[in-house]
Amino acid sequence: MPAPAASPRRKLAFILALGIFAATHATAGSTIGEAIYRSGLQPSGPPIVAEREAGMRIEGPAAACVNCHRRSGLGMKEGRRSIPPIAGIYLFHPRARTADDLDLPYVEGMRADRDPYTDATLARAIREGIGANGSPLSYLMPHYRLDDAQMAELIAYLKQLSPGAVPGVTNSVLHFATIVTPDADAAKRKGVLEVLDKFFIEKNLRTRAESPRLHSSRRMMFMVNRHWELHVWELTGAPETWEAQLRAKLAAQPVFAVISGIGGRTWAPVHHFCEQALLPCLFPNVDLPVIAENDFDSLYLSKGVLLESQLIAHELLEQDSRARVHRVIQVFRDADIGKDAAGSLSTTLAGRGIATLERPLPVSASAQDLKSALRDLKDDDALVLWLRAADIAALGERPDKLPTVYLSGRMSGLENAPIPAAWRRITHMAYPFDLPERRRVRLDYPLGWFRIRQIPVVAEQEQADTYLVCGLLSDTLNHMVDTFVRDYLVERIEEMLEHRVITGYYPRLTLAPGQRFASKGGYVVHFAADTGTRVVADGDWIVP
Amino acid sequence: MKGIANRPTPRLAMLGAALLVVGAPCVVAEDAADSAGHAVSMATTATANYIVPPVTLVRDDGKTVSLPREMDDGRPVVLNFIFTSCGSICPLMSQVFEQFQLRLGPQGDEVHLMSISTDPEEDTPARLADYARKFHAGPGWQHYTGTLEASLAAQRAFGVYRGDKMSHTPVTLLRAAPGKPWIRIDGFVTPDELLRQYRQLLASR
Repeated sequence: MPAPAASPRRKLAFILALGIFAATHATAGSTIGEAIYRSGLQPSGPPIVAEREAGMRIEGPAAACVNCHRRSGLGMKEGRRSIPPIAGIYLFHPRARTADDLDLPYVEGMRADRDPYTDATLARAIREGIGANGSPLSYLMPHYRLDDAQMAELIAYLKQLSPGAVPGVTNSVLHFATIVTPDADAAKRKGVLEVLDKFFIEKNLRTRAESPRLHSSRRMMFMVNRHWELHVWELTGAPETWEAQLRAKLAAQPVFAVISGIGGRTWAPVHHFCEQALLPCLFPNVDLPVIAENDFDSLYLSKGVLLESQLIAHELLEQDSRARVHRVIQVFRDADIGKDAAGSLSTTLAGRGIATLERPLPVSASAQDLKSALRDLKDDDALVLWLRAADIAALGERPDKLPTVYLSGRMSGLENAPIPAAWRRITHMAYPFDLPERRRVRLDYPLGWFRIRQIPVVAEQEQADTYLVCGLLSDTLNHMVDTFVRDYLVERIEEMLEHRVITGYYPRLTLAPGQRFASKGGYVVHFAADTGTRVVADGDWIVP
Repeated sequence: MKGIANRPTPRLAMLGAALLVVGAPCVVAEDAADSAGHAVSMATTATANYIVPPVTLVRDDGKTVSLPREMDDGRPVVLNFIFTSCGSICPLMSQVFEQFQLRLGPQGDEVHLMSISTDPEEDTPARLADYARKFHAGPGWQHYTGTLEASLAAQRAFGVYRGDKMSHTPVTLLRAAPGKPWIRIDGFVTPDELLRQYRQLLASR
């Protein structure tokens, strides 16, 4: 192909092709092709079957294309093995001499030196594992038993799966949103937004204005100047109205992804909106995330108070019989997230020989009501307090006959929780982060960054998390070069997260296909002394 | 590649002259990625000695066990490393174990198949048990998790650690008995080839 990469005619052809793909994409609902690709199933009839060789048969979800080629159709890298992109434009593009000559968004594993597939050769590849050039495909590629009608559906799906015009991405601007719910803590909200604001300002300072777009090498495409623009979506009113508000905001200002943000009592409407809108929602600051196994678009740093509940359950169930707790009394505010955490703990303990008793407090509960929730305790009870710092400070005198108290670290303020002196010695705290002395070095960088930019540290953990995910977004977009595909953004984060060195409050962060919570464990800690903020781990890092 | 004897496996039998390697992080050629590939599996075989690290793992039945003791129960061992969120390589490797067991038939329990998770924080014993069921694991095939440190120690000891779980490559290891050298197969091994290697290993015991 003698034509240079930037030939205007080819460019135009590519843009036209994108337009067509984008148009078909918009009309593609849930098709037979999509069902085969994503789940190895068809709306009616038996599951899809494939074979690698005699006896190595797979079917249904195990045979779904998505397992290797991913939702984006852009493939992935596993080990030194690249699973190639199979979104239409990567299959049907004309042969090019080198990858640099390909006028396609850069994806690792894309092939230049190959004849374009036709519907017939693609069907042969899918059925017999023979590539466009007549050579065998990788051993990993199964041979599918699809009839002609199924094949036509699948190929039609692959054709429309191509990267096209993405809302929120223009030639000069990348639009992002961050979502703030009205019930978010006001101080934390301010701290988080300030970090986001400063990060975006800094990001844009680094992109020099007006420098020419580089064409010499596809790998240099990330040098294209795109201004990052952050839209703060402040929700108002009742949670039932948030999804409609978000739909209106997205329609008015399309964005490529949602980054960070902060929630309060519930995040579920935001989670569901992102899932519906196929909009990546990356690592919001929430204590109560949504656990939904098959959802794709929302990623969280951890399971929040639901992880704490699992940590406490682990401690209660691991104790040897002589110290065994027989009953757990859980106290929480009825209108707060502790209700969900308590429910989760009760469910986990059900049938495990530990009775649970929930004592919810109404919104208007006074210090006296709190005191009465602590009545009638026995010496083989454990008390679990899903309470905020103000309630913890108001605990007052410690009831007699109370051997063990567990506390939510996230709700009460971690090592800064204002626990009355009399309670300290019997109190253990679920601590779903790395220990303070171990995370100090990892926090030096973000804290230094805040200091230089004069960002007051008002919510260290949330602000450090926000800085962390901004950096992650920036790195991931660099690796994606100019291939702006929302699913691909999520997939690349899944793959790349484990490589991050600066993991802030967390000892490590990892994701993988299907995993949605990056930090998987935590400690249970106690206070070292009657005063001060030094905490000591009861035992090892627990992954419940 | 010094000290490692490599050769393509298909249809090439004897391993007689293979050199011994002690605890080496063997990196062995594997079939080229997406490019013009191979319709048949291409694997290379080497012989190596590894020191089994004295780590504690958690088996898919929830029991805490010692790795050396699990390996030294008298039976030959066939070992691989997998994680349950892995979409491409691991299901294929697990299917090879499934087919290997099936081909052994009633003799399946005479060999200990071991699969160690490279993503132990996600792969709880319950998750591994589900995964094992999906591949019809018989009583002779166990999956292991544990702390990240323990899993890493095992991965490093057998030279399969590649920096992170997504960078893994398919490796299958066989050993006839404690104290004997390991056969290391890098790349995709077919069930028939694994069976052939296994029978040959037993014959040389």
